[in-house]
Amino acid sequence: MEIINATNIHRKFGEGNLVAHVLRGIDFTVTEGEFVAIMGKSGAGKSTLMYQLSVLDEPTEGSVIIDGTDVMKLGEREMTAFRLNTLGYIFQNYALVPDLSASENVMLPLLMRGLDWETAKQKAHETIDSVGMEGKYNNLPAALSGGEQQRISVARAIAGKPKILFADEPTANLDSVSGGQVIDLITKLNREFGQTVVMVTHEREYAANCNRIVHMEDGMIINEETQ
Amino acid sequence: MRALRIGLLLGIRQIQRANIWTTTLIIFVMMLTFLNLIAVSGVLVGLIEGAERAVRENATGDIVITALDDEDRILETTSFIRELEAYPEISTYSVRFNGNALLEANYKERRSLTGERDTAAVIVNGINPENEDSMSKLSSLVRDGEYLRADEEGYILIGAYYLKEYAEDFGDIFDSIDVQVGEPVRMTIGNVSKEFIVKGIIESKVDEVNFATYIPEKEFRRIFGRYDRNADQIVIRTQRPEQNAEVAASLKDSGLADYAKIQTYEESLPKFLIDIKNTFNVLGTMIGSIGIVVASITIFIIIFINAVSRRQQIGILKGIGIQRNVIEIAYVLQAAFYALSGSLLGALFTYWFLVPYFDKNPIQFPFSDGILAADPESTFWKFLVLFVITLFAGFIPAWVIVRKNTLNSILGRK
Repeated sequence: MEIINATNIHRKFGEGNLVAHVLRGIDFTVTEGEFVAIMGKSGAGKSTLMYQLSVLDEPTEGSVIIDGTDVMKLGEREMTAFRLNTLGYIFQNYALVPDLSASENVMLPLLMRGLDWETAKQKAHETIDSVGMEGKYNNLPAALSGGEQQRISVARAIAGKPKILFADEPTANLDSVSGGQVIDLITKLNREFGQTVVMVTHEREYAANCNRIVHMEDGMIINEETQ
Repeated sequence: MRALRIGLLLGIRQIQRANIWTTTLIIFVMMLTFLNLIAVSGVLVGLIEGAERAVRENATGDIVITALDDEDRILETTSFIRELEAYPEISTYSVRFNGNALLEANYKERRSLTGERDTAAVIVNGINPENEDSMSKLSSLVRDGEYLRADEEGYILIGAYYLKEYAEDFGDIFDSIDVQVGEPVRMTIGNVSKEFIVKGIIESKVDEVNFATYIPEKEFRRIFGRYDRNADQIVIRTQRPEQNAEVAASLKDSGLADYAKIQTYEESLPKFLIDIKNTFNVLGTMIGSIGIVVASITIFIIIFINAVSRRQQIGILKGIGIQRNVIEIAYVLQAAFYALSGSLLGALFTYWFLVPYFDKNPIQFPFSDGILAADPESTFWKFLVLFVITLFAGFIPAWVIVRKNTLNSILGRK
């Protein structure tokens, strides 16, 4: 069953003669439980495509339907709520709130979903345990290594059991060992729990476990590989 | 409620993790702003309140009894005084007789009858020296010489403004005589004259005292022909100022209002004095509001810099589904924390140190011993204004930054 259906996506930046046409009419679908990697050189438009799919940006043209919802028709408040309830994000710079402990970072979206403090805390601890960070609940992000921060970031993304997990070059700032651990974690989520994952990467080895690899060049999908 | 709870979490953690010195400095600025707001108007109003306090202490007491509007004197003064004796709330009182006279000095040295006389038109108060002293502490205002004694006659106390030595500071705007303690003066009322020896010079910050002369009541009544014993003024000191209204009301209820006008000190205040006090208050508040503007700009800049430096983090929060109002609440909470902490410290400093200090060590103004007037109610309202303005100063920059495009914020794009 299709969980993402993007049709004729165009994204332009700038005005007049300085318009950069970054995405040029992309059609893209993802089925439930699929692990898709988007690959391409720098400037190919892979991150821009992911931003359109993950409702962080609006395409200049085209439509994006996620889990049956036409996200282009949502207002800002609904869009934020949609991201909270349906999507999970892993950013390349971890994007943890530096003032909050690891546990509070994971609790934040859970509290926003309406869970009470104790339930959110319990669930956050369980999720942190599941990403191999037992006992680091009260550590501030600054006291964690890059790999550990990214695992907390994964925990935050999956704690609310999102329908789709978006990962934007999650290993870009990590050494190969930590990067491998994060990819293993994401793969495990997909294989064991059927988590739908859309991941942007430019490292072929990290895309090895994906069901499908989409290659981009000059704002277009040039080919797809199914594994 | 959910937004408030999460906003509180974010705000509290930001305050907790902020640099302690920066936080201390911001709170210090807020404290100074609060003090500026309270102290400037407090000193201006305190200047008038200090004058009021002196008038109450040295002249009018807590309750003032004067003649009815259509009478010259307090009727049945003797009965009135008997009634006052029955009130345990009244600690002391003084009965005053007033009259106008011409006071002349150096008349013995005047060589020619056509030469210029050294005279001044004066107000004469006939008093019982002991009662007056217990009521107005008049003896403490004697600058030169001594205070009157009840058992002696022929002595006078003269207010400083009637003497050349003191009055020349004011230019030639009122009558004054050149006389020293121990020298004679001649008092003339119509065809009656009597010689007095200047026993003391009275000086006060209350003009009413400086522009008065005092002689014992018996002599006054004799010279002025006031044989009916009906006085012009009775001033009363109560045991506690809170009792004033109650005692005044009780005196009125007992029928004494038929013989005299009974007013508490506050009721007897002239309207212009109340107007001046209000004007000074407004003036002080206006000057103090400059402080509010400075504080709100400070808070605006602090929150703005804070929010701008966390723009990416704000973008990420929005990206993961945290609503805008939650983030705004977090920043408003920080502004509220700074305003509350600063104001609380300012209030403690004001009421535990400044007010008691200026009560004991008044600021010496020429016409008043200035205190710091900080009425808790008006302080509360000023705090509220400061607090609300600070909240806005915290909200606006947060609102501006939070409205920026989510993705641009995450990527650090303009």
